[in-house]
Amino acid sequence: MSETTATAIWTVIIGMALTNFALRYLPLAVLSRVKLPAPFLRWLSFVPISVMGALVASEVLRPGGSWTPPLGNPGIAASALTMAVFALTRSFLGATLAGMASFVALSAFM
Amino acid sequence: MSSPTDTQDTHTDAAAALALHGTRRQRFMRGARLGIPILLGYAPVGMAFGILARQGGFSTFEATVCSATAIAGAGQFIALSVLGSGAGAASALVATAVVNLRYLLFSTTLAPHVHSARPKTLAWLGFTLTDETFAVNVADLRQGTATLASMSGVGAIAWTGWVGGTFLGAAGSALIGDPARFGVGFAMPAMFSALFVALAEDRRHIVVGVVAGALCLLLPLAPALGLPELAGSWYVVISAIVAASVASAVWRDE
Repeated sequence: MSETTATAIWTVIIGMALTNFALRYLPLAVLSRVKLPAPFLRWLSFVPISVMGALVASEVLRPGGSWTPPLGNPGIAASALTMAVFALTRSFLGATLAGMASFVALSAFM
Repeated sequence: MSSPTDTQDTHTDAAAALALHGTRRQRFMRGARLGIPILLGYAPVGMAFGILARQGGFSTFEATVCSATAIAGAGQFIALSVLGSGAGAASALVATAVVNLRYLLFSTTLAPHVHSARPKTLAWLGFTLTDETFAVNVADLRQGTATLASMSGVGAIAWTGWVGGTFLGAAGSALIGDPARFGVGFAMPAMFSALFVALAEDRRHIVVGVVAGALCLLLPLAPALGLPELAGSWYVVISAIVAASVASAVWRDE
């Protein structure tokens, strides 16, 4: 690992804080003041589930950014179990913990 | 007020009434409790960031300030790895900005629900907007139980978990060792899995979510078809935009 200077570190810290805030805040500030057209609102209503579907697929099936063969991937069963626990209990906490525990247990066997 | 997003106000049940009519503090604390799973997911991943940041030349103070001002999980890890590879601060900033473009989408989605927020509240909601706070708040909005105060509480507990975890990881990096053995690596995927179920209102949503997931797995194959290769962070954004667009074109009656 090459040496990173304090200047580079602080440039990254400050730059990251500013860009992140701009990306997150500007649409909230600008778009919450105007009335959005109905087709756009309908489109937005499908965005959260789409984002979550994409996140689950990439985090579970391509952990660390590369495809993992499904048979050797404990994340698939652990993810299914997490979904089942949440569907039954509606508890984010319980489901997340069950997912982590089952992932550790399944990893030991695979 | 006759926009379709306001109709939820007309059919609040008892639980919703309770969630909506407490004091500001009670509503804030309700949000904080709602966000406890986020805290549990963030604390260990924050620790992992703290440990890696120390290995990458950050001091404990720098690592903690970085998490406290950026609260960007994947973005921060990518900044670290770009810096560590010897590329300069500018490359690290571009990489993290690309990864975090999805926040534009989240922020746009939340915007219609926060039109009554005061500037300070709006700034706080923007500052604490992450994949997880977004998903928890959207699920809560769908139930008609979310308020500006509860959303602020969700953000506060998430921030606390991320920053606290980073500090503990950075300060104790020599003692902790590899956090992976506690299943930490699966905290985020597990939370996303649970949130997927929470956001799946009906069969349409499940179909759209599955389509987005499939697209997200197919996009990395683009170079094999002669299409340009994309940075991994674009997969989620592009597949979500495409899936939501197809869905809103097919199902026009909602």
